[in-house]
Amino acid sequence: MTDTVLIIGAGFAGLGTAIRLKQAGITDIVILERGSQVGGTWRDNTYPGAACDIPSLMYSFSFVPNPDWSRAYSGSAEILAYIDSMVERFDLRPHIHFGANVIGLHYDDESATWTAHTEDGRDFTGRTAVMAAGPLANPDWPDIPGIDGFTGKTIHSARWDHDYDVTDKRVGVIGTGASAVQIVPELVERASSVKVFQRTPGWVLPKPNPPHPHWLNAAFRRRPAVQSAARQALFWLHEVVALGVVWDSVATTAVQGIARAHLRLTVKDKWLRRQLTPDFRIGCKRILMTSDYYPALQQNNCKLITWPMYAISPNGIRTAEGVEHELDCIVFATGFDVSKTGTPFPITGSGGRVLGEEWATGAYAYKSVNVAGFPNLFFTFGPNSGPGHNSVLVYNEAQIDYIVSAIRLMRAEGVRAIDVRKDRQDEFNRDIQRRLESTTWNSGCQSWYLTEDGFNATMYPGFATQYVRQLSRVDLEDYTVALTTSDGGYRTAAST
Amino acid sequence: MAFDFDTMLRTIKDKQWSLADIDWDAPGADLITEEQRPQLKQFMSDLVWIENIGARGFAALARKAPNDTVKRIYEYFHAEEQKHANAELALMRRWGMLADGEQPAPNTQIRMAIKVLDTYGDDIPLSALATLIPMLECALDGALVKFLLDEVADPLCHEVFRHINSDESRHIAVDFQVLDLVGAGPARRLLIETASAMQPHMLLGLIVVFVPLLNKMRDNIAAMGLPEHKLYNAVKRFVSNGDRSENTKRIPVYHVFKAQARMVVDRGHGYHRYLADPMVKVTNRIPARLMGKQPSWSKELTHEPVAK
Repeated sequence: MTDTVLIIGAGFAGLGTAIRLKQAGITDIVILERGSQVGGTWRDNTYPGAACDIPSLMYSFSFVPNPDWSRAYSGSAEILAYIDSMVERFDLRPHIHFGANVIGLHYDDESATWTAHTEDGRDFTGRTAVMAAGPLANPDWPDIPGIDGFTGKTIHSARWDHDYDVTDKRVGVIGTGASAVQIVPELVERASSVKVFQRTPGWVLPKPNPPHPHWLNAAFRRRPAVQSAARQALFWLHEVVALGVVWDSVATTAVQGIARAHLRLTVKDKWLRRQLTPDFRIGCKRILMTSDYYPALQQNNCKLITWPMYAISPNGIRTAEGVEHELDCIVFATGFDVSKTGTPFPITGSGGRVLGEEWATGAYAYKSVNVAGFPNLFFTFGPNSGPGHNSVLVYNEAQIDYIVSAIRLMRAEGVRAIDVRKDRQDEFNRDIQRRLESTTWNSGCQSWYLTEDGFNATMYPGFATQYVRQLSRVDLEDYTVALTTSDGGYRTAAST
Repeated sequence: MAFDFDTMLRTIKDKQWSLADIDWDAPGADLITEEQRPQLKQFMSDLVWIENIGARGFAALARKAPNDTVKRIYEYFHAEEQKHANAELALMRRWGMLADGEQPAPNTQIRMAIKVLDTYGDDIPLSALATLIPMLECALDGALVKFLLDEVADPLCHEVFRHINSDESRHIAVDFQVLDLVGAGPARRLLIETASAMQPHMLLGLIVVFVPLLNKMRDNIAAMGLPEHKLYNAVKRFVSNGDRSENTKRIPVYHVFKAQARMVVDRGHGYHRYLADPMVKVTNRIPARLMGKQPSWSKELTHEPVAK
């Protein structure tokens, strides 16, 4: 009988889970990674200017502190190097199977095990499975007629082609989200012209990004408690921000005022300011953090185009004011295909139930980690686990610790299967959806947080502290538990 | 049956056209006669600017749209009005009325309209803007464009205006549907909206700008030989479309504009003698420098089908 823990994905979540399992003495771990390197979204997002919107002191695991961050908000290369360093530091490489692109995950009731099938025909079986494929893994291409007929170069921000030199090229950027606002300033430096095609502007807050002085890094190295204190201070600062960006309140108006003042101070032209002013409450869509985007847009070789795009022609982009914008290269900064109503590959649970079908109108889970009818399956970055104000890795650490506790408990108690109770799950989700009603995300705009029907399956309506607290302890009362008996069989108990 | 705005948005997307779809060097440009040229240049110049002002009006409407679909429709209409202005510029250039990169200069009344729209455009209440725009479009579509096509023999002009008219028919259909929606709202909201339209600075801005603007254009066109009955028919179309909906008739601003439209087409009405004509005279004397800098949205026009 296998006790293997299958982990799907070798990004932050997958590697973090493996580290914590090893630290808990569980070494029977198999990590399945579809790429040839670790790093997940930071391996894939290497576009010019790629960086994190959360300070590095918080955008890192508390159990893997890095005293050497070069600046407040690190770039993608430095974050990727940090992830890489975890592999060596915790000897994870023997556990990782590269090129293992999972195309199906199936539960067998008889053996109470999960089997992952890979594209190249391999099967991996484990007692438990951890979904760590990441929510931002697959590039989203916009549905614009003629997109395949463009004769110039096309690049997606999440699959940057570093062999293509944009110097002296006419570049069009489609999208004005978190990736675009980082790419545009870099492109403006190099390309002969940059046209930014905007559908909806986002709220932009300034992002001062000072380098960490040597003395600070030295202090972090000598006294880890100093780094920990700095992390805590940043954490609480971000918690306060939740008052404005999570709940739609007076504080939201204040944060919006800061964004408006930033726009007023950095953009001179009144019409351009109008084009850049969102018509939704700040926080409803992801807040953009950059001090470079507005200045870049006002450079002579850059132009913001807000006319609706209606087609891509062989030579460029056609907009509804009747003009064809001739381009050498189109950059699609259109983000990711975020799974809100399905799963990245078929997941079949107990009795042959298909998770994608159950999530067809919107994903849900118990505490974002378990789904009833899918025993021994754990999610990282699962439904309603997204923060709007704090480090996603704080949430991820809580999920990881919960999963590790559950697996330890299963082993200690001789549990062969745990399946979250549907009544607990339903009660939990009723509460989550009720609490979501007063948040900025549900304040009336259409965003990638919501399904087309307006169901919020992505965000957690509360402080990070609340999220962490709800995952601080595994209560087997919440689960239907199958125990292994002394004769090798099993019996089911509603709870232990 | 309720109007299907989603289907309309799909149709709008499907019917998009580009200046690059048109062969601007096709034969026929020489059919413009030398006698036509000076007045046609004035007429086209006014038309270009009215389209540009209309475009800005739709941009303001998009901010107030009753739902996301209508908002998107207005965003397209904003762009389409700009496209019409661009296409008309391209025709002017084809007819040798503009040098490379030259733009027709906006007259004082146009510049005032641009200034007022730039300052108050986004504050004009939905019911006022949603009434004003179909009135202007009925005049444009029903009188000016028909007249232009009667006068100009260039087949390319007819081809371009087939596209423009097709767009305009959708604009007018949506305009009146939105008016119907606005009129269906609670009486309290209509009253509040109307009261806010009566804010002195805004009302004054609208009167000072649109009264002389409409009159100056009306007289320019009449001077070109546009028969009075065509203008009358255009207003009749606005009224008959509006009156078809009981909801639209509930909108106080609609009745104000309806009355104004009737006065504008009737040259014998005291409105001209005592209000509009003196205002044209006065505004003609306003020095351009008092108008300040032209906003950047009014400097985006281009006759180039392809931006290299």
